[in-house]
Amino acid sequence: MAFELIRSGKHKTPIKPKPIAEMPHTELGIDYKTWCDSHKGTHKWRNIRWSVLIFMNLLFVVSFAFDLAILEGSLSGSRLIGFYLMDPFNALQELAITSTTGYIVHLTMNFWIGLFTILLFWFFVGGRSYCSWMCPYHFLAELAEKLHNYLIKTKKIKEHAFHTGLRFVFWFGFIILALATQQLVFENLNVVGIVSRAMIYGPGLLLFWVFGILLFEIVYSKRFWCRYVCPIGTTWSFVGKLSPLTIKFELDKCGYCRDCQTVCLVPHELWFVQRGKATQETHYTGSDCTNCGLCIDTCAGNALSYTIKGWSAVL
Amino acid sequence: MAKKEIGRREFLISGSIAAGALAVVGVGVKYLDISHTGEQLRQDFLRPPGAIDEVEFMYGCIKCGLCVQICPVQAIKLAGAHEGLSYGTPYIDVRAQPCDFSCDALQCVETCPTAVLNFEQFKEAGLKAIEKATEGTDLSNTDVNPFEVQKVAMKEAVLMGKAHVNKNTCLAHQRKGFKGISRGTDFEGIYRAPDSKYAYATPLKDKEFDREICNLCVTECPIGETAIEFSPGRGSGKMRPRVLDGCTGCGVCVMVCPTERPSIVVEPIKS
Repeated sequence: MAFELIRSGKHKTPIKPKPIAEMPHTELGIDYKTWCDSHKGTHKWRNIRWSVLIFMNLLFVVSFAFDLAILEGSLSGSRLIGFYLMDPFNALQELAITSTTGYIVHLTMNFWIGLFTILLFWFFVGGRSYCSWMCPYHFLAELAEKLHNYLIKTKKIKEHAFHTGLRFVFWFGFIILALATQQLVFENLNVVGIVSRAMIYGPGLLLFWVFGILLFEIVYSKRFWCRYVCPIGTTWSFVGKLSPLTIKFELDKCGYCRDCQTVCLVPHELWFVQRGKATQETHYTGSDCTNCGLCIDTCAGNALSYTIKGWSAVL
Repeated sequence: MAKKEIGRREFLISGSIAAGALAVVGVGVKYLDISHTGEQLRQDFLRPPGAIDEVEFMYGCIKCGLCVQICPVQAIKLAGAHEGLSYGTPYIDVRAQPCDFSCDALQCVETCPTAVLNFEQFKEAGLKAIEKATEGTDLSNTDVNPFEVQKVAMKEAVLMGKAHVNKNTCLAHQRKGFKGISRGTDFEGIYRAPDSKYAYATPLKDKEFDREICNLCVTECPIGETAIEFSPGRGSGKMRPRVLDGCTGCGVCVMVCPTERPSIVVEPIKS
C-alpha cells in the first residue's frame, strides 16, 4: 500500500485516451482553444510563491542590515531565531572531506542539529520545493526564462535540451572534486550561494559568473542550471523522494493540452498529461518536481492540485 | 517541452563534456591550491580568533557568514573573488577594523557551526581560570564574579598573530610624541579602550590623545601589560613599545597607530 504511493505507475499499461465526447471542453460546451486559454493570466500560486521567496530572502538581508537576529547567515548556513540550519549539499561535501581527514569529530552539535532539522523540514514540504520557494537564483532564472521564451517564440534562437541525468554527473562530480581537492569547490561556483551572499553582504566580482550562467540560459538552453547542473536541487530531490507534499493529477479533468508541461521546469515529471500516457486515474509528480504551482495555475480543467500524499490512507 | 526523447547517446556525449569540465575545474582548483600553499596570510587578511590550520579551514568553512553577522564591531568580512579559493571565507583587516574583544565572549568562534573557529580551547581556558579563581573561596560570596576572570582568560587564549614594531617609522623610536586624533576625523574604526567608561566600542576619532612620547599601541591594547610594554631600550634608554609573549595579534595597536603606514604590524600565525 505505502509502496504503491511512491511508485509513479509508469510501468503499467496506459489507459485508453478519452473520446472527444468525454473531454472537459465538450462537457462545458465550449470551443477547445477557448477552454485551453481559460486560465490564462491566472498567477495565484506564482504570486504566493514569489511573495514567500522574496520575503524569506529579504529576511536574511534585513536581519543583517538592521541587526534583527531573525534569520542570520546565508543560504549555505544560517540561524533562524538562534536555531541552526545547514545547506545539505555543503554539509555532504564537508562530511565527505572530513571523513577522510578525521576532522569530523570537531563538527559542532549545531551543525548536526542544523542539518537534520532542515532535512526534516524540507522532507515534509516536498524536497525540491526549496528550489522554487526559497532559492533566489530560481527567481532570477524564472525571469530569464521569460526572455528566453520570447526569443524562442520570435524564432531568434533555437532550444537546446539535455538529458536530465546530467544532474547526477554533476552531483557525484562535485562530491568527487571535493574529495580530490579538499576544497568546497562547488561553493565557489554555486550561483545560489553567490546570489545569497551578494544580497546579504554586498555584491562581488562573482556576480559576473551568475550573469554568465543567466545569459547562457537566455540564449542557449532553458533553465540550464536548475535543470541539469545544480547539485543542491539534486540533493533536495533525493530528500523529496518520499515526501508527502506533491502535486496530484486527475485524468478525468485533463484536456490533453499540455500547457502544464510547457511552463514546467521539469516537464518529465508531468509525463502522464500527454494523451494516452496516463496509466492511472490519478498520478503524483515525482521528486524532481519543485512544487512551484505553475502547472496548477495554467491548467484549464483544474486537473492539477497540491496534495498531501497518503493523507486519506492515514485518516 | 522536449520535442523528442533525449537518448542514451546524447547523455553520454553531454555527460562526458560535463565530466571533462569538472575535471578542468578540479585541476584549476588544485593548481590554485598548490601555488598558494606556503603563502603567508597577510595583515589585511587575518583569520578570526580560534581559526584552525589554513588547510582544514579551507574545506571546513562553509562561507555562511554567521561570524560576520555576530561581530559587534563588524571586524570580520567575507573575502571577495579576488582572493581566489578563499572566496567567501572570513577575514579581518586590522588596520581598518580590528577585533577589540569588546563582545567579551568570542561570539564569532562560538557561533561557527563547523568549528573552523574552534571554541574548545577558549572554553577550556575559561573554565580553568574560573576554577583557579574560585579555588578555596566561598561561592556563596556574591562579591566574587568568576565570569570576569573567564572573559580575560578567554581573550588571552586567542592567538591570531604577533605584532611587530617597525623601528624606522615608530614615533616613540624617534622620541616623538603625538597630539590629536590618531587616524583623522573620517576614520570609521571603533574599539573599546581600556580606560573607556563604556561597555561597548566607541569610535577612535572621538578620542583625543596627547602624549609626550607616542605610546598609543601600549595604552590602547585590550590585553594589557602581558602583551605589550612601554619600556626603556637596553642600549639607548629611550622609551619604546615592546611586544611580549601575551600578544594575541588582535590588531588594535595597528588600527590606533598614527603614522601614515602603521609602524606596528601583525604577522599572522598559522596554528
